[in-house]
Amino acid sequence: MILSLAVFIVAFTMGGLNYVTTVLQARCRGMTLMRMPLSVWGIFVATIVGLLAFPALLVAAVMMLLDRLIGTSFFMPSLLSMGEALDTDGGSPILFQHLFWFFGHPEVYIVALPAFGLVSDVLSTHARKNIFGYRMMVWAIIAIGAMSFVVWAHHMYVSGMNPYFGFFFATTTLMIAIPTAIKVYNWVLTLWRGDIHFTLPMLWATGFIFTFVHGGLTGLFLGNVTVDLPLSDTYFVVAHFHMVMGVSPVMVLFAAIYHWFPKMTGKMPNKMIGTIHFWMTFLGTYAIYLPMHYLGILGMPRRYYSYGDTDFIPASAGSINETITIAAIFVAAGQILFFINVIYSLRKGKESGPNPWRSASLEWQTPDTPPKHGNWGEKLPEVHRWPYDYSVPGDDEDFIPQNHPIKAGETSVGD
Amino acid sequence: MFTLLFIGMGLSMVVAYVLIRRLQEKPWTQHGILEGSQDGLTSSAPKVGLWAFLGVVTSLFLVFIGAYFMRLDMSHGGIASGQMQGWAPVDEPGILWVNTIALILASIAIQLAHGFDSSGRGRIRMRRYFNAAGLMTMAFLIGQVLAWRELYATGNFGVSSPAFSFFVLLTAIHGLHLVGGLFVWSRTASRIRRGLEQAQLQEVAALRQSVSLCATYWHYLLMIWLVLFTIMLST
Repeated sequence: MILSLAVFIVAFTMGGLNYVTTVLQARCRGMTLMRMPLSVWGIFVATIVGLLAFPALLVAAVMMLLDRLIGTSFFMPSLLSMGEALDTDGGSPILFQHLFWFFGHPEVYIVALPAFGLVSDVLSTHARKNIFGYRMMVWAIIAIGAMSFVVWAHHMYVSGMNPYFGFFFATTTLMIAIPTAIKVYNWVLTLWRGDIHFTLPMLWATGFIFTFVHGGLTGLFLGNVTVDLPLSDTYFVVAHFHMVMGVSPVMVLFAAIYHWFPKMTGKMPNKMIGTIHFWMTFLGTYAIYLPMHYLGILGMPRRYYSYGDTDFIPASAGSINETITIAAIFVAAGQILFFINVIYSLRKGKESGPNPWRSASLEWQTPDTPPKHGNWGEKLPEVHRWPYDYSVPGDDEDFIPQNHPIKAGETSVGD
Repeated sequence: MFTLLFIGMGLSMVVAYVLIRRLQEKPWTQHGILEGSQDGLTSSAPKVGLWAFLGVVTSLFLVFIGAYFMRLDMSHGGIASGQMQGWAPVDEPGILWVNTIALILASIAIQLAHGFDSSGRGRIRMRRYFNAAGLMTMAFLIGQVLAWRELYATGNFGVSSPAFSFFVLLTAIHGLHLVGGLFVWSRTASRIRRGLEQAQLQEVAALRQSVSLCATYWHYLLMIWLVLFTIMLST
């Protein structure tokens, strides 16, 4: 398994290099960095973060492999095994923890940043408004990407680290909440007084705002060393990270799949099945993770299948656990609807046309739907504006595609 | 670990400085096309790709060095177990100095190969120097293996000795990067051979770029080796 992990990292590095170079060097005419959709920004920065973080996992994996296979002692302390002293000495599992989390925390943002980008585009399109604070959104993505490298030890508050270390990492952890909060405010302000269409993608994107705010707030609790110590390794942690990096990016994934499904296939996804899928997932995940916060504050540790007779855990905690299990099965069953929807819509879905959501960004303007190889045929498009020209005052349509030539009354950058 | 941190911060500041001007554009007020605005950075795609890869390589070795120092620290001040061996330092074999010189010569040769003009004699020299660089690199790699054997033969180091494990691991990882480089080198070398026969001008420009990318990679790996060697000598 460790070996396959190493192969995966090498493969990711090659793919990532391709992505970074493409974004930097192969943009079409007129597509400046600041005219890229936030989706591309999110994936771009996440890829850079991934390229720099995965080596730490590789190093940890290689050293672990050597410890296991040929008996080096990178991580192995002096140990008694079956009454006999092993040959290893002086290594430390804490070193492994540092290496793992130096990768592990950026990984959280490798998952989250593309989601941040995708959801921005979905919200903007379906609220018929330009994304609020585009520049701030780009800067926030970059700031989060950079800061994700200096917060890793907040996963290790209980490892007996130097208190000043804990202080440092608590500070950086709370600081990374600033760009994140800016993004949340901007999503909400994008919706503010927008012409909101509750389409399928919009439902999921709105659901994301709820779950993400929820998970983010509990993150503020856990980022503080003193609050984290009693809550560490309890269900509170499980609830927090599932809300923030389990459920939230998945909400965005579904939003994005339903949003781009028409472009990928030429068919509309079925709205009714998708809506039932959404409510089962949204309410179901709340039924799973909301009670976990209470179990965590009660002090119930995670990773035990049975608690036996424990004084501080009342019997009612057990019945909450059963409820959670039922809710989890319910949510899992709900996901079957997604596959049914994909297959049904592919076969019998309504024809979508090239741009059913009337989206301004470039990918919706391809000559063919679904796009053929090379996307654009003979001639590459030219980009004359940013991807968020929705409801522009004085315009006949409520959106202007990115490749639409410059109009009368608009200032040109060339002038 | 803090060293790592500061280097990371320094790198991100450099990136920020490069980007900052582009990121100040206000896309909602500006329409139309500004000539040249879309051509990313002012270099070719392969070059950007190589530098991105070197960023990954840097990250990999920085993390290794970080782990090295943390492990060293643990041996010195770590858990007091009655049979604490601590960190038995490796007495670096003298052959490493020879290897280092070989790698420096390889770097110089590849730089000279890049410097030649496209005249007939220049091309032949380019080919000679380029081949010499590859041979020097192979000599370096063989030398590294000899160094392992020499250390192992002393019998002073079991596999559980951290200094010895780190020595082998770091040199092996560095060597693997050179082997990858040699793969590209062999392809470029055969292209040079064919390119010399055809002598197309366009072909020569493409070759020059390949050689230049190889040179960048070689200098970078030489630098990493010097850093690793210094660290291992001083601990």
